[in-house]
Amino acid sequence: MANETKSESAHGEKGHGGHGIGKYIAVWVALLCFTGLTVYTGHEDLGAINLPLAVTIATIKATLVVLFFMHMIDTPTANRIVFVVSIVFAIVLIIGVFGDLWTRNEMTLPSAAPSTLGPEIQVSGPGESPVPVHHE
Amino acid sequence: MSSSDHAHHHAPGPGEPTLAHHFDTQDQQNQAVRLGMWLFLGTEVLLFAGLFLGYTVYRNFYHEAFHEASRHLSLFLGTTNTIVLITSSLTVALALWAVQQGKNKLAAALLVFTILCAFGFLGIKSLEYAEKFREGALPGKWYHFSEITAPGANLYYTIYFLMTGLHAFHVIVGMCVLIWVLKGVVKGRFSPKNDVAVELGALYWHLVDLVWIFLFPLLYLI
Amino acid sequence: MSQPVNSAEPAEPARATVNYLNHDRGVWSWLTTIDHKRIGIMYLVSVLLAFLIGGIFAMAVRIELLTPDPTIMGANTYNRMFTLHGVVMIFLFMIPAIPGVFGNFMLPLMLGAKDVAFPKLNLLSIYLYWTGAILAVSGMIMGGADTGWTFYAPYSTSTPETLFPVLLGVFILGFSSIVTGLNFIVTIHTLRAPGMGWMRLPLFVWGIYATSIIQVLATPVIGLTVMLVGIEKVAGFGLFDATRGGDPVLFQHMFWFYSHPAVYIMVLPSMAVVSEAIAAFSRKNIFGYKMIAYSSLGIAFVGFFAWGHHMFVSGQSTFENGAFAVISMFVGVFTAIKVFNWVGTLYRGSIVVSTPLIYICGFLFFIVFGGMTGIAVATVSLDVHWHDTYFVVAHFHFIMVGAVIMAFLIALHYWFPKMFGRMYHEGWGMVAAGFIVLGFNATFIPQFLLGNAGMPRRYYMYPERFQALNVASTAGASLLAIGFVIILIYLTFALVRGKRAVDNPWDSRGYEWLSASPPPKHNFAEQPIITQDAHSYQNPGEEVEHVVI
Repeated sequence: MANETKSESAHGEKGHGGHGIGKYIAVWVALLCFTGLTVYTGHEDLGAINLPLAVTIATIKATLVVLFFMHMIDTPTANRIVFVVSIVFAIVLIIGVFGDLWTRNEMTLPSAAPSTLGPEIQVSGPGESPVPVHHE
Repeated sequence: MSSSDHAHHHAPGPGEPTLAHHFDTQDQQNQAVRLGMWLFLGTEVLLFAGLFLGYTVYRNFYHEAFHEASRHLSLFLGTTNTIVLITSSLTVALALWAVQQGKNKLAAALLVFTILCAFGFLGIKSLEYAEKFREGALPGKWYHFSEITAPGANLYYTIYFLMTGLHAFHVIVGMCVLIWVLKGVVKGRFSPKNDVAVELGALYWHLVDLVWIFLFPLLYLI
Repeated sequence: MSQPVNSAEPAEPARATVNYLNHDRGVWSWLTTIDHKRIGIMYLVSVLLAFLIGGIFAMAVRIELLTPDPTIMGANTYNRMFTLHGVVMIFLFMIPAIPGVFGNFMLPLMLGAKDVAFPKLNLLSIYLYWTGAILAVSGMIMGGADTGWTFYAPYSTSTPETLFPVLLGVFILGFSSIVTGLNFIVTIHTLRAPGMGWMRLPLFVWGIYATSIIQVLATPVIGLTVMLVGIEKVAGFGLFDATRGGDPVLFQHMFWFYSHPAVYIMVLPSMAVVSEAIAAFSRKNIFGYKMIAYSSLGIAFVGFFAWGHHMFVSGQSTFENGAFAVISMFVGVFTAIKVFNWVGTLYRGSIVVSTPLIYICGFLFFIVFGGMTGIAVATVSLDVHWHDTYFVVAHFHFIMVGAVIMAFLIALHYWFPKMFGRMYHEGWGMVAAGFIVLGFNATFIPQFLLGNAGMPRRYYMYPERFQALNVASTAGASLLAIGFVIILIYLTFALVRGKRAVDNPWDSRGYEWLSASPPPKHNFAEQPIITQDAHSYQNPGEEVEHVVI
């Protein structure tokens, strides 16, 4: 029902043109394409490239949404600065903290500590908590 | 978020915006309201940033567990959810366009579709959560998923539940906002002259979509 | 010379008639107000109450430390005392006080606006404050939080004490802060009077603007962090549990990513107040307006990159230790710029000797010493020795009490006639200022010495050789307390029986003095139009005229 209405309107309006409805559809198609791309490449094991590639594709998709769906392309500069700055500081947080873990002495890393849920775990069955290997 | 305290000189007619007493022009008020909304979106970005940080850190040190665990998520359901959200983003953008053209009936239909997409998203999410409960792939001390034994697997699911949980909470809030916008569209309160509230509601929904655009590949794919 | 130079219609004649205080009557009219001035007053009452509570717990801590052995309480209680002191002082006073009280009251007046951009959101911010405050304080008293205000994992996630209400309270207080910051940014961008370009903004506005940016950007991170601790406590899953492969230091990173910029949320408004007051009390154009304005933004910016200096001995990598140390030094550059400009304003000014001026002098002295000891603890090799000792405690109290609370008192006295239309008693003001400045020195200078000698913080017992300095510190704290009590008394007296003030008793050129004192409900009878720069006492090239106020 709603689907029909939607596709109806899409077909109908495309003819009218309005002021850029075609733009929205084009962005939507692009987003779906990039989604397909990221699903395909994400599942291939490309080694170290996987993460940067996935993040890059996601960033492209996000940029499309922000610029066109959220109209950042024709919004006052103040609003743009606000959003960009918040992303910048989110990145500062991630890089700043990750930098610590990346440059730490290996023995002080979280992965160096023996975990109670490593290979030595004994799992009895669904619904039961694991028996920890250590003292309390 | 428009602060309409009382009518400026006369009661606004249907579809006319109210100008708050401390603003001089409607344009000034609209500008203020939009800036306020973008600032709020900025705070949401930073709220999620901490969880993305957790993901980055633990993925780096428990690479094997994260890799294995992401293979255990349903790629089909995740991709479907992505398509659902992206499409809902389109329809809410179109709904705003429709209001700006004065086509409130079309806008209402598009908003209904968007809200149904939101329900769909949550429905699929609950299916996935139910599956996790069955498997025992749960966060922290509740983890007892026997299929993944690499160290740090429980952290993967902690991050998974925290991130998708916080995101789902925002989906619910977004839905409520869109329902409120829908009411206004149906009642004729929103119009080409008074469309800022619709714009703000749409912006919030786009943010919900944005977060998922990053969550999906990080959790389901790599 | 006593007429303001800016062109504006004078508001209705002062307090003889109706003003914002008596415009509507009844408690309900206050609780449902959207008037920024009333909200500012409600914040004032709230933060003063919070300060009283925090101060009582401070005295409890100091009394306990009078003797090396248990004095009046046991170890667990002591932990709760300093936790209460820290949480109340930081989240209920230091962060909301100057923005909530004076930002709310003065910002629209200084901009020539009728209110803030979102008045209803403003009302929401104080309701959030009250909710968070009640949750946090009652949570601590009934549940007994004993982690310190820093809630470090893994203790916070595993302590038997009930932390959840406190964490929820802090979370809600964070929202109050975000809402206030958001409101102020939009107000400054969109509600400036005609003629007020960015370079004509009063310096108080610049400081509040920089503060609001930090509030909006940093606070969500602490919100998430306390939420994660709460979830880990209540639901047993979290990111910081080392037994499950988590990293407790990650908590510290996330916590300090907010809490370091948070100290600039406290300090920037204080500096903003001082910029305003110093021009008024030297009756001279502010020296270096642009530098002061930009340095506020500079502090806000650099402040975001320095958080790791709280973690030098936590296990953070050596590389990041060094990086954070170097970056932290830059804050000193911006602060120094301000201090030089302030002193440059006082130099050859027509000094008005008054209570605010005494606090200004105290402020300058304390911010220099507090700031320099900050640079000292930012040096990794030194902080390894000083971390978690009283040296750090003394450093941050020099800034938090010495700078921020001095500034709060400056604001309170400078703007008292503006807010209430009455003058306080100058003589008693100076007496109290004497107690405060001397008491402050007596409290915290011994703590530098104690810390350097090795006394750890948050310990309720200590070796005997530290007793003399501890007793001195407690004696100083008592002097401080007396000073605050005196202030409370004469200000309350001034509220009800004080001499009526004229609209602009200091003959200040601040734009907020263009309206009546106290202002009418809608601030200005007619929209003021700004034709002069801010803090404008002389035309360029004109000599300072020495007048007696």
